Amino acid sequence: MSLRSIRWTAGVAVLALALAGCTGGGGGGQAASGKDISVYICEPQSLIPQNATEVCGAEVLAALFEPLVNYNAKSSKMEMTGVAKSIDSTDEKTWTIKLKDGYKFSNGEPVDAASFARGWNAGAYGPNAYQGASFFERFQGYDDMQVPKGAKPGTKPKASQLSGLKVIDPLTLQVTLSAPFSQFPVELGYTAFYPLPRAYESDPKKFNEAPIGNGAFRMNGTWKHNEQIATTRNDAFPGGKAKVGGVAFKIYSNINTAYNDLLAGNLDIMDALPPERVADARGQLGDRFIEAPSSQFNYLGFPMYDKRFGNPDVRKAFSMAIDRDAIIKAIFNGAYTPAASLVTPMFGNSGNPCGETCTFNPAKAKQLLAQAGGFTGTLDMWFNSGAGHDKWVEAVANQLRQNLGITDVRFHSLDFAQYLGKLEADQITGPFRLGWVADYPSSQDYLQPLYATGASSNFFEYSNKKVDALLAEGDRAPSVEAGQTKYNEAEQQILADFPNIPLWFQKIQGARSDRVQNVQIDVFTRIHLADVTVK
Amino acid sequence: MGRYVLRRLLQAVPVFIGTTFLIFALVFAIPGDPIRALSGDRPVSPGTVAALRAEYHLDDPLLVQYGKYMVGLAHGDFGKSFTGRPVSSIMAERFPVTIRLALVAFVFELVIGLLAGIVAALRRRSFADTLVLVTTTLIVSIPVFVLGFTLQLLLGVKAGWFPVAGTADGWYSYLLPGLVLAALSLASVARLTRTSLVENLRSDYVRTATAKGLSRRRVVGRHALRNSLIPVVTYLGIDLGSLMAGAIVTEGIFNLPGIGQQVYLSVRNQEGPVVVGIVTALVLVFIVANLVVDVLYAVLDPRIRYE
Amino acid sequence: MSDTVARVETAGTPPGPVTEDAAGRHASLWGDAWRELRHDTLFVISAVVVLVLVVMAAFPRLFTSKDPRACDLGLSLRPPSAQHWFGTDILGCDYYARVIYGARVSITVGILTTVAAVVIALVLGSLAGYYSGFVDSLIARVTDIMFGVPFILGAIVLLTVFSSRGLTQVVIVLVMLGWPTMTRLVRSSVLSVRDMDYVKAAKALGAGDTRILVRHITPNALAPVIVYATIYIGIVIATEATLSFLGVGLQLPAISWGLMISDAQYRIADSPHLLLFPGVFLSLTVLSFILMGDALRDALDPKLR
Repeated sequence: MSLRSIRWTAGVAVLALALAGCTGGGGGGQAASGKDISVYICEPQSLIPQNATEVCGAEVLAALFEPLVNYNAKSSKMEMTGVAKSIDSTDEKTWTIKLKDGYKFSNGEPVDAASFARGWNAGAYGPNAYQGASFFERFQGYDDMQVPKGAKPGTKPKASQLSGLKVIDPLTLQVTLSAPFSQFPVELGYTAFYPLPRAYESDPKKFNEAPIGNGAFRMNGTWKHNEQIATTRNDAFPGGKAKVGGVAFKIYSNINTAYNDLLAGNLDIMDALPPERVADARGQLGDRFIEAPSSQFNYLGFPMYDKRFGNPDVRKAFSMAIDRDAIIKAIFNGAYTPAASLVTPMFGNSGNPCGETCTFNPAKAKQLLAQAGGFTGTLDMWFNSGAGHDKWVEAVANQLRQNLGITDVRFHSLDFAQYLGKLEADQITGPFRLGWVADYPSSQDYLQPLYATGASSNFFEYSNKKVDALLAEGDRAPSVEAGQTKYNEAEQQILADFPNIPLWFQKIQGARSDRVQNVQIDVFTRIHLADVTVK
Repeated sequence: MGRYVLRRLLQAVPVFIGTTFLIFALVFAIPGDPIRALSGDRPVSPGTVAALRAEYHLDDPLLVQYGKYMVGLAHGDFGKSFTGRPVSSIMAERFPVTIRLALVAFVFELVIGLLAGIVAALRRRSFADTLVLVTTTLIVSIPVFVLGFTLQLLLGVKAGWFPVAGTADGWYSYLLPGLVLAALSLASVARLTRTSLVENLRSDYVRTATAKGLSRRRVVGRHALRNSLIPVVTYLGIDLGSLMAGAIVTEGIFNLPGIGQQVYLSVRNQEGPVVVGIVTALVLVFIVANLVVDVLYAVLDPRIRYE
Repeated sequence: MSDTVARVETAGTPPGPVTEDAAGRHASLWGDAWRELRHDTLFVISAVVVLVLVVMAAFPRLFTSKDPRACDLGLSLRPPSAQHWFGTDILGCDYYARVIYGARVSITVGILTTVAAVVIALVLGSLAGYYSGFVDSLIARVTDIMFGVPFILGAIVLLTVFSSRGLTQVVIVLVMLGWPTMTRLVRSSVLSVRDMDYVKAAKALGAGDTRILVRHITPNALAPVIVYATIYIGIVIATEATLSFLGVGLQLPAISWGLMISDAQYRIADSPHLLLFPGVFLSLTVLSFILMGDALRDALDPKLR
C-alpha cells in the first residue's frame, strides 16, 4: 500500500518510441481525435500551485498551467517557450520579466503581470502557510510577509505584498531579490511560480477544488477526491495545442492496483511503477514500458557530529566497501545509474567527479579504514520505513559487514515524520538514507540546500567556508552558466570532504497502454501531456 | 423495554467518551511532527510550519486538544484534515462507499455462509461437513491481502470478469472486494449456523413436529432453521460494524475510496481529527448495532425479556 | 480479521460444566474429550502439524544447517534448486532457511500473545464473574471501550506509536486488543459455575474467596477459554502477516513469514516461489491451530456429543 503521497522520482524520457504507428492521424491539433486518456496519480495534497510541492498535485497542475519558462523533455534545459518573452537583469538582483501577449486563463481573464504577482504574493504570505513558501525567501520583503516569531495567534504580518514585486505595465513585472541570484530565470518553471487568476482571491477554497489555469488543459468539473480529476483540452491555448481531447487523472491509493488496472486496459499512462513489478513490466510490456532518467539522487549521509564518523577517510572507506552495481542489479533490476557525483551529470560536473571513492574496492576500503583507526561499536543504519528501502539498506549493511569486518549492525527504521525529527535534532547515530530531487535544472538546487552551512537539509552538520564561498560566488555570477562553473567547483570540494556517500540516480519507470503514444516524462516526473497522441 | 434501551444508551456514553479519548490520545502519542512531514524531504519555511501547527492546535497539551475537539463536535464540527478539508465532508464522501462494500459482503456472508452451514448441519459428520469446515477455515487462514490481490489478478486482470479497481462500474465494482471482505467471516457464519441448527434439530419441538408426520423439509425449513437463525442474525448484526473496519485492507487493494483507506492514511499522517471522526462514527455504529441486535433478540425469542 | 472469528465463541454457548466433585469432574470432562479427539482425524493431523512447527520454531537447526542471514547478492531471486530447495530471495539468501527461521517469530508471536491474554482474562474475568457489582461493571466498561476500537485499526494506531517495532511491541499490542474477548468469555463461564452446588458446598465448608476462585471456579471455567485460545493463536499469526502488509509489523532484521509474504506478493508473476513457500507454511499453521481449537470445542461440548 502506498504510504505517503511523496514519490521522489523524476526523469527525462529517452523513449525508443515506435513513431511509425502514428503516421496517419498526426497532422497536429486538428481536433480530429477528441479522445480522452487516463493518467495515474496519487491523491494530491493541494491544487493551488503555490501549495503543491509533491509530485501528484504538480503533475495535474502542469497540465492546467503554463509557466513562464519550460524545461525541455529530453535535455531538461530551460526554454523560453512559456509565457515569458524575456527575463533580464544587469545585477542579478533586480529582474525584469516581459510577458508574451495573448495568454488567457480558461475563464477568459488575461494572463498579465498582475496575475503572476498575485500568485507569488499568495505563496509568500505567511498565514497562508503554503508548502511552496520557501521559494519566495529570496524575494525582497519576504520577512515582512511572515508572522513574527512568538506573536499571538491571529497576528497579521506587516505586509501582505512582497515589496520586491512591481507591476510596471500589464506585460512587465519587476522582481527585486534581497541578494543577487544568477539561477533566478531557471527556477521560474517550477510549480510555485505559476500565475493565479482573480478567481483565486475571491475564494481560495473553491479554487482548490477547481483550479483555473492558463495551460493546455482546463478542469472538467471539480476535483473528485480520491477518485479522479478530469480535464479537457483548452482550445484557446496559444501554445502547443494538446492532441488528446482530455486527460482524466485517476487517483489510486495503491500503486500496485493502478498497475493492475493498466494491465487490464483501464489506465493509459503511469509515471511510476511498483518497484517489485518492474522486471515483470519490462518483459511483458515491451515498448510500452517507459524508462527515463530521473533527477532523484539517493545517498547515505553521515552524522558528522558523531566522532566515529569525523574522519573523512572513514567515510570514504564506507563508500568504497559498497558494490553499487551488484545492488542495482539485484534489487533495482539493473535500471538505476550508480552515482559518481552529487549532482546529476545532466546539470553538473560531467564524467566521474567522485573518482575512486565511489568505485567498489573492498581491499582499499579495508586498508583505508584501518589507517583511519578503524570503526568501533555498533553500526546503526537509519532509514525511513514503509517506503521500500528495507531491502537495499539491508544489502548495503551486508556489504559493510562483509567488506569492512564490522560485526555488529543494527537497523533503525522510523516513519518519515519521526525520521525527520531525529535528523533535525541531530540524534542520528550512523549512516542515514535520504534522497534529493531537483525542482529546476541547476546544480544550485542540489548543493545549496544540502551542503551550505546551516542549510535546511544539511543533516550532516557539514560546514566548509570554502564551499559556502563558492556557492555564494555562483549566486552572484553574471549569468546562469557562469554560476554553474562555480557550483561545479563547489561540488568537487564537497566530494573531497565527503559528508555523504553518493549511491545512485534513480530512473523513471513508467508504462503506457496500447492506445497512447509519444509519452515523454521529464527529469522532474512531468508527463508532457500536450504531446501525447491517442489512437 | 423502553427503560432497557434508555439504560443501554446511558451505558454507551462512557464507552463513547472512553473510546474516542483513547484513540485521540494514541494519535497524539505518535512521535514526529506531522506538519513537517507534509513536505517530505523538501525544505519548508519555519513560518509555514508554525502557522499550520497553530491552525491545528498541535502545540496545545493533550487534554486541551481533546477539549477543543469535543467542543467542536458538540457544535457539529468534526474538524479538518491537514489538506484543509472538513472531516464531515470527507466522511460524507467516504462512508457511502464503505457501507455499500459492507452490504455486499454482508449478503455474501449471509448466502454462502448460511448455505454452507445448513449443508454441514444436515449432513453432519459426512464428507460435506468436513469439506465445509476445512474450506471455510482455509480461506480464513490465507492473509486477506494475499487473497484480495490474487483474486484481483486472476479474476480481474487475467480473466477480465470483474472491474480491477475503483467504483466506476457501480455495484458491479463492489462484487469482488465484497467477496474478499466476506471471506473473513464466512467460516464463522457457517460454523455458527451449523452448531445452532444441529442443536435445534435435536430439540423436543423438532421431534414433536417429526412425530406429527411433517415432512423433513418442512421441519427443517419452518421450525429448526427459523429458530437457528437467531444467533446467526445476532452475529451478523455485530459483524456489520467490524466489516466496516475490516475494509482497511480490502479498500486499499481495490482502490475503493472508503473510510478504511482514509483512516489508514490519516493514521500514517497523524491527522488526529480525521481518525477520531471516523472512529467516533464507527463506535456509534457498533453501539447501535449491538443495541438493535439485543432488542431484536428479544423480539425473535419470546423466552428473553428485558426489564 | 480476528474479532470476527472471535465473536463466534462469545455468541455460542460455553460448554456447561458438569456438576461433580472437583477431582472427578475434571477427569471426566477432559478425559471424555481426549477419547473423542483421538478418533478425530482432523484433530490428529493438525496436532501433528502444530507439533512439527513448534519443534521447528524451537530448534531450527534440526531442519537446516544454513544461516538465513548469509546472503549473496549474486544469487538474487533464484528459483528452487538442489542447493536452495525453496530458491533464494532478492538479497540472495537461502529461502528454505528463512522460512524455517521464520517459524520461530510467527509461532512465538502467536503463543506469547495468547498466553498473556489468557492470563489477563482469567484474572479479570474471574474477578468480574465472581464478585459482580462494582468490580464487574468497572471491568465491563473497560472491556466495552476496548471492544469499541476496531481490531486492525487499533493495531495500526497502537503500533504507529512505537518508534521501533520488534517482537515485544507487536505482542504487547495484540495482547491489548485480544484480552477483552477472552475476559468476557471467562466472565460468562465463571457466572455459570459460580452458583453450582459444589461451590456452595465449598463455601459452606468455610473456604475463602481466593481458595474458591483458584481451586474450584477458575479451573472449571477454563474449557471455553482454552478452545478460544487455540484458535486465537492461529488468528494472531495471520494478523501478524496483515500488519506487515500494512507496514506496521515487525522491522528489519526480523525474519517472519508475514514480512516474507508481504514482500513477495507483488512478485508473484516473476518469482512465485517467494509467495508460495511462506504462504503455505503460514496457512498450514493457522489452519492447524483453528481446526485444533474447533475439534477441541466439539469434544468439550457435551451437547454436541
